[in-house]
Order: sequence, then structure tokens, then C-alpha cells
Amino acid sequence: MSTSTNILDIKNIEVTYDNVILALHDVSLKVPKGKVVALLGANGAGKSTTLKAVSTMLASERGKVTKGTIEYDGTSIEKQNPSQMVGLGMVQVLEGRRCFGHLTVEENIIAGAYSRKLSKGDINQELEKIYTYFIRLKERRKSQAAFTSGGEQQMIAVARAMMAKPKMLLLDEPTMGLAPQLVAEIFNIVKELNTKEGVSILLAEQNTNVALKNSDYGYIIETGRVMLDGTAKSLLSNDQVKELYLGISKKGRKNFRDVLKEESLTKKKIN
Amino acid sequence: MVEELLFFMEVLVGGLLAGTMYSLVALGFVLIFKASATFNFSQGAMVFFSVLAFCGFMQDFNIPFVLAFILAALLMVVVGLCTERFVLRPLMNASEDTVLMATIGLGYVLEGLAQAAWGVEVRRLDLGIGDFPVPWIADNLKLFISALDITAGLVAAIMIIGLFLLFKYTKIGLGLRAVADDAGAASSIGIPLKHIMLLVWSAAGVVALVAGCMWGARAGVQFALVDLALKALPVLIIGGFSSIPGAIIGGLIIGAVEKVLEVYIGPFFGGAIEGWAPYVLAIFFLLYRPEGLFGEKIIRRV
Repeated sequence: MSTSTNILDIKNIEVTYDNVILALHDVSLKVPKGKVVALLGANGAGKSTTLKAVSTMLASERGKVTKGTIEYDGTSIEKQNPSQMVGLGMVQVLEGRRCFGHLTVEENIIAGAYSRKLSKGDINQELEKIYTYFIRLKERRKSQAAFTSGGEQQMIAVARAMMAKPKMLLLDEPTMGLAPQLVAEIFNIVKELNTKEGVSILLAEQNTNVALKNSDYGYIIETGRVMLDGTAKSLLSNDQVKELYLGISKKGRKNFRDVLKEESLTKKKIN
Repeated sequence: MVEELLFFMEVLVGGLLAGTMYSLVALGFVLIFKASATFNFSQGAMVFFSVLAFCGFMQDFNIPFVLAFILAALLMVVVGLCTERFVLRPLMNASEDTVLMATIGLGYVLEGLAQAAWGVEVRRLDLGIGDFPVPWIADNLKLFISALDITAGLVAAIMIIGLFLLFKYTKIGLGLRAVADDAGAASSIGIPLKHIMLLVWSAAGVVALVAGCMWGARAGVQFALVDLALKALPVLIIGGFSSIPGAIIGGLIIGAVEKVLEVYIGPFFGGAIEGWAPYVLAIFFLLYRPEGLFGEKIIRRV
């Protein structure tokens, strides 16, 4: 694939925290323009680290990309900082929603436009557009964000990111701790933003089934390595994925390392 | 009986107005605490530094009052700029404790610089407002209230309204409140932390200058201003570290309580309880309401 079709191209990155803790060993992934790509894996697999490497938020957590390259829209992001990345159209929605609790819902969303030079009128116009995707938030616009529900806070976080007019969104576990109905609602909004606004999306999720059903492509990572990747359809019908991530289990294997171990054992037996 | 009541009123009003001076100093602390969650130990030094520079401009260079004030305010913006660039930015990912220690160091640097530049002797600052009872109020209400106290009260009120409008209705104010709530999330949507830091340190510097003028006019511009500013600590404990209204009301409470206690209870302790009574009050608050009267309750998701 040529670079022009991929908005994001991560090649063999290694990430360390505090110069000693190796969080990612070797991760490569691509996000084609206008597509939704899911990054799947258990807690501590390296999903958040991958997203933060892309948004350059790693530095504020004493993390560093020590090997490999990340190209966004055809150029390396090595020398950028988070506010420059937002300026380039890449916005991350952090894990755990992270709303500004003491601000109202509307103030939260308006804060998302901080990086853009907009007049009051432009901001109101953008707000109205955003509210068409997040109808629930319009009703609650004057409430203090800390007093809204978990689902509403997730919507605030996504709406706030959309105010920066991103070309690409990084969503870190957008459905964490939400009821199934809300999970569906959030994913509907994400799909809508993707198709109507043309935003490319890379999302980290533990909720493998729902994530794959709403994505075009998927990567599965374990202990800082990509173990498997493929189109969302192929992953959904893959036996190993079904067994390890979709809970249709047999034999009690827990991850890909176990699978590989077993395979090498059977090979030895055959030999 | 009437006379006793009048005397009490006089003590109370005098205390409240003196309290606005504490409020002014506390305001500087709150600004910085909101943005960087750090108690800025150099605030007292900033008060001393700014007002000494102001006096220096007027007295050593014969610059007129208004121009000298503007120059001193600009100087505080430069101090804010340097603090952001050389202290805060290198410590961006350091723990809050590290930043706290850095502010103590910054305080020493500012004290040293001020004295190196303008000398160590006590200077008199004449604002053209006397520290004596206003005749009109004395005649009509039979209360003896200092003109300087009234001015300080008015100035504090204006600054507070100005800051409130700045935070509530401007873009950079919204940015500041966002950073105060969650600096990481603010940075993720492209709010540049360094602009916000620059704003709050400059604003805190200008507030320090105004507070310094009020204190300096009363007690002389001298090194003791640094310690006086520490009175803001009980003010903040009572009012809450992150609340501007809290700083104001905390200051008023401390001012009023210490004067009333001094006059009515002081004699039983041999006087001079003003110095420590506020700290005793602060201890009670720490025990029973640690977030202060108006402090934002800490909400944590588990």
C-alpha cells in the first residue's frame, strides 16, 4: 500500500517507560484513510501505550518511542507535541473519559475548539452540528459534567474531541464500564462520525465482539506484540479469536502464547 | 451600651477591611494552585519583589507613579515568563512535590534579586492615601475606619470581579479552568499548557504587586512582607485552595476574627494573639473540613 492511502502508518515501534520498562516490543499497524481500525487485547497488552505513542502524549508519562517510526498523513510525528498533533487533526480521547468535572457539558465541548481560531458565531454553529450527533448532550448542556452519567461523560469526551475538527480520532476504551445498550449507542455515534464526517478511527477495546462488528480491520496485541491481524470479518470467524477473545472457550487456553506453545509441542510429537 | 456596640463595629469593620488585604495575597496563591495544583511558596517573595521594584522605579529613577506601576506590572509578567520557561517547563513531568520545592527555591531567588537590585533598607511607600480615619465616616457614623483599609477593600473587589470575568467569559479563562480540572485531558485536546502557565503566573505577579502596595503603604516596604504573605495559608485552609470566592471570604474571616479576638480575648493571654489565632482556627478547619468552606471536593473515580 502506498502512504497516501494510509492516514497512519506505524512501523515496528518499541516503547519504554522511564528508560527501563519495555511496554511495546514490536508493533506495526496501518489505518487506511476513512476506515475504522480496532486494536484489541487484554489489560496491559499495550493498547493505550500504542495510542499515546501516536498522539505523542507518551512524553508526559515519561515514555518514549525507542525504535521504529510513526507516520501520520505521510510525515513523521517524531518532533511533535500533543497540541501540535491536535493542530494537524489528530485527537486522542483518553481512557476513562477525563471530562472537566467542574465545567458544564457545553463548556467541556467548547474547550475542544481551543486549538482553532473561531468566532463566537462559528463556535455556536459547530456546537449545533456536534449536537446533531449527541442529542442527549444538548438536553444536558447546562449540567456540570461531573454529575452526568458514565455514558454521557463518554459522549462529552468524544464530542469535545470532535470540536477540534479531527481527521483522525484515537479512542481509548470508549465503552469501558458501560451498560450494553450504551455500548451500542456509543458505537453507533462512532460509526456515524466515521461515515458522515469522514474521520478515520483507531480504537482500543477489550470488548472484542462489539469492536470488530463496528470496525473494518483489527489487530490483536499481547504483551506488547501484534499477534494477529486481519479484516474484522476474518477475525470474527477466526477460531482462535473466538476461543481466546470471544469467550467460546475450550481446553482453557488463555492467549496466543499458549496456542503457539501447543502447536510447537504437537509438531515435536509428529516429528 | 451604644458606645460598646459602636466599638465592636469599629473593630469588626476594621478587621474585615484588613482582611481584604489577606484576600489579595491569597488570591495569588489560588491562581497558581488552580493551574498547577501547587502551593506557591514564592508568592510572598513575589509580593516583596514586585513592590520593591515599584518603589525602586519611583524613588531611584524618579519615574512617575502610574508609569512605575505599569513597569512593575510588566516586570512581573517577565518574571512569570521566566518562571514558566526555566522552572516549570523543565519540571513538566515531575511530581507535584518537586514543583513545590522549586517554588521555595524560586522564592529565595526573587528575595535575593530584589535586595541585590534595590537594597535592603525599609522604604516608605506613599500612595497618597492616608492610614487614618476617614473624617466623614467618623463624623456621621461615629466609626473610625482607615482610608487605606477602605481603598484596599475597593481594590480587592475590583480585582476579584475582573478575574471572575476573565475566567468565566474568555477563551483563555476556559482553558485555565480546563487545565485546573484535568491537565492531561486539556493537553489531549490541544490546550497549550505553557500559555496557561504563563497567564496564571503573570496574573499572580500582578495580584502580588497590588497586594504589596497595600501592605507596603501600611507597614513599609520591607523584607517582613515575605512572612506576612504566609498569613494567606490559614486564609486558604479556611476558604479552600482552589476557590477564588473562598480566598476572599477566608481573608475576611481571618481579618475579622483576629481583630475581634485580639481586642476581647487578647488581654487574657497577655495580648498579641493576632499572630497565632488564625493558625489555631486553621487547625480546626483541617480537622473538621479539610477542603475548606468553598474548596472543590475531590472527586475520584475508583
